[in-house]
Amino acid sequence: MKEIMALTKLFINESWGFSKFLYNRTNNKKAFYKQLVPMIIVPIALIPAFFMYVSFYIALYAGLRMINQTSVFLSVGYILTIALIIIFGIMYILSEFYFSKNIEELIPLPILSRNIIISKFLSILVSEYVFTALIFVPALIIYGVGEGMGFVYACLSILMFLTVPVLPLALLTALIMLIMQSASIKGRQDMLRIIFAFLGIALIMSVQVWFGNHMGNANNVDFQNLMNNLLKNNESLLNTIGYFVPTSLLLAWTLNKITLMSLAWAASSVAINIIAFALMVLVGKRFYIKSIVRGKIIKKGKRLSQIETQKALGKKSHGVMAIFSMDLRLLLRTPIYFFNNVSVVIIVPACLLISLSFIKLTPEDFNSIRNFYTEMPILVNFILIAFFIFFGATTATTATTFSREGKASWLTRMIPISSKDQIIGRTSVAVIIESLGIVFTLIGVSFYIPLTLLSLVLTVILGILGSLPILLFGLFMDMNHPLLDWDNPQKAVKNNMNVVTTLFVGMAYIGLLLAVSGLLGYFINPWLGYGLFSVISGIMTVVFYKIIDKRLAVKLLNFE
Amino acid sequence: MLKLEQVSKTYGNKSEKAVDNISFQVYPGEIFGFVGPNGAGKTTTIKMIVSLLAPNSGKIIINGIDNQKNILEAKKQFSYVPDNPELFEKIKGIEYLKFMADVYEVPVAERQQLIEKYLAVFEIKEAVNDPIGSYSHGMKQKLALVGALIHDPQLFVLDEPMVGLDPKASFELKKIMREHCDRGRSVFFSTHVLDVAEKICDRIAIIKKGKIIEVGTMAEIREKAGSQESLENIFLELTE
Repeated sequence: MKEIMALTKLFINESWGFSKFLYNRTNNKKAFYKQLVPMIIVPIALIPAFFMYVSFYIALYAGLRMINQTSVFLSVGYILTIALIIIFGIMYILSEFYFSKNIEELIPLPILSRNIIISKFLSILVSEYVFTALIFVPALIIYGVGEGMGFVYACLSILMFLTVPVLPLALLTALIMLIMQSASIKGRQDMLRIIFAFLGIALIMSVQVWFGNHMGNANNVDFQNLMNNLLKNNESLLNTIGYFVPTSLLLAWTLNKITLMSLAWAASSVAINIIAFALMVLVGKRFYIKSIVRGKIIKKGKRLSQIETQKALGKKSHGVMAIFSMDLRLLLRTPIYFFNNVSVVIIVPACLLISLSFIKLTPEDFNSIRNFYTEMPILVNFILIAFFIFFGATTATTATTFSREGKASWLTRMIPISSKDQIIGRTSVAVIIESLGIVFTLIGVSFYIPLTLLSLVLTVILGILGSLPILLFGLFMDMNHPLLDWDNPQKAVKNNMNVVTTLFVGMAYIGLLLAVSGLLGYFINPWLGYGLFSVISGIMTVVFYKIIDKRLAVKLLNFE
Repeated sequence: MLKLEQVSKTYGNKSEKAVDNISFQVYPGEIFGFVGPNGAGKTTTIKMIVSLLAPNSGKIIINGIDNQKNILEAKKQFSYVPDNPELFEKIKGIEYLKFMADVYEVPVAERQQLIEKYLAVFEIKEAVNDPIGSYSHGMKQKLALVGALIHDPQLFVLDEPMVGLDPKASFELKKIMREHCDRGRSVFFSTHVLDVAEKICDRIAIIKKGKIIEVGTMAEIREKAGSQESLENIFLELTE
């Protein structure tokens, strides 16, 4: 047990960086404040979002109370929490178990493999508890207060809270271990990681689509009947949800009404979690260490002949192209970067298209949409421009461009590349990714609205032009505060404050600019609106470019 | 070729200087060894020379160019290989070499010839199409060396170059360093292997707690120390 505790502490310390934080407090004040400030600012910045989230729960509870279905309230919170744990858990599990370098140092030590597996799992669990506390505890409190629950409810709530992330994480870990050890994936771990992430998203979307369909059918059958049933039977909706996520029933039976049976249901829930945990340890003991000691298998390239080598080196590229292709390769070949910086331009249009495909539009609906576009093209154009700029801001490609290089950044800082080439090369990568999103969106939109050539040209040009100041602002942030000291690429993006800052500042700026330009274009003259948007975007682009160009060379000297 | 004038550097804790007012010169055609105990300031000095760190005070002139005032031009004068060359793991060796050739604007024919030559010398030709993530420490170092030699730099800066290299590669590197200097260029390198420093360096500087405590040829250092002993013994006496 002592060994497990020591290892868990070590893994948590490693992933949260406590030791470094304390070291910096006495030895490197600048680095200490750099860590401390985000720790204060981020929670404060997230308070409004958290309040909105809690308000959503309060509204949901009130709504369910009106239709006599509060029994389903905790189950909804539980399912939402589990879905989020699965989405984020995939990355955490892969990072901790398969992409963290500490395992190579631990295997030669006289430590039981079981203890390593348990400790790694517990370190992930601790992070997930923080997450679960924010997502699930509000639901527990709202229900408890709403139903006038007492001390026993509070105690059982704590117990159930502790069990919530264990089951999905344990099963997910066991599943990942089984797949990762499979011989057929030799040399393809990176690809697998991307597939896992997309599978997580697909799972959530499938649930959403299923609910959409189910509700749709219910409407078709007999809405009045359904409502009557809901009002008469306090648990009819709960039973429907419980059919698909059985463990949500255990939670509901434990906490919905506090009786002696609640203790029995709580005990069952704990038992199921213990079984899942034991299963994970068993699978881990059987497969995990074996797959690690088998070695890091990286797919090798074919041997190049002299002619092939010369051909590969043959064409001389400009500095911009050298930076561009290096940055793009890193982005596309590193799964974490691909998922965080690139996938949004695929997932968002796909989600929208799938969601829209479930709305059955009649020919009249199509006509209405087309008429709206014909009568007010400026509104549709500005909505599209906003959408395109959203890709620029959310991909965070420039906001992590130096951070992503990590300890290898010495190379791009040492080479004789001008600031101009660095800026253009790195920003072009972001523009290319944004363009992918633009293309996917335009394909989707074309199913509903036949855009004119003028709209196409205007939205694409202004979408890219409008995103340039945000992209350059991201570069400016990362130039000033690069996050280079990481042992896991996940940290370069997930722990990077530049991403959040760029997103918030960028969206606020573009929201304001689009509102002013849109209103001007709608009420006075469309071309005045487009003109103002172009001029302001152009000026902001030049200003940021000049600032970065002037300071980048000196900043590169001070990254350490 | 390389001139450091009263260069100082402090990190977070302002009272302790990692490098304290150091000055020395490296002349054309010279292999210059930089030795000192762990934490003496060798790597900090090297990072300031290769523009990875800005000094708090002092000047660093590379081939007549101030590396604080004309950063880009100064960077074109040297190549650098760190002690632990962290390279982009997802990039193939050949892609890395093309990148280096592109950024140093090496003509096509020249890059093809030099890369072929050095890949053969360091025996990594077969691995050049593999991702760098699959390389051993030594192979990464060899690839970094090839990348650094592509543009035939005026000043070749190496931090602990022999660590991680196999005996043959180590021997070849020493040969390359000598040939490089014979063509009027210079080599500046740090090392803990005092035998190597004694055998191949034209001049040596010894750094201790951020200060240069000795600089000169082996004969000059022996004379000042009043001893005919090896560099190892003199180093131990001076740094105790």
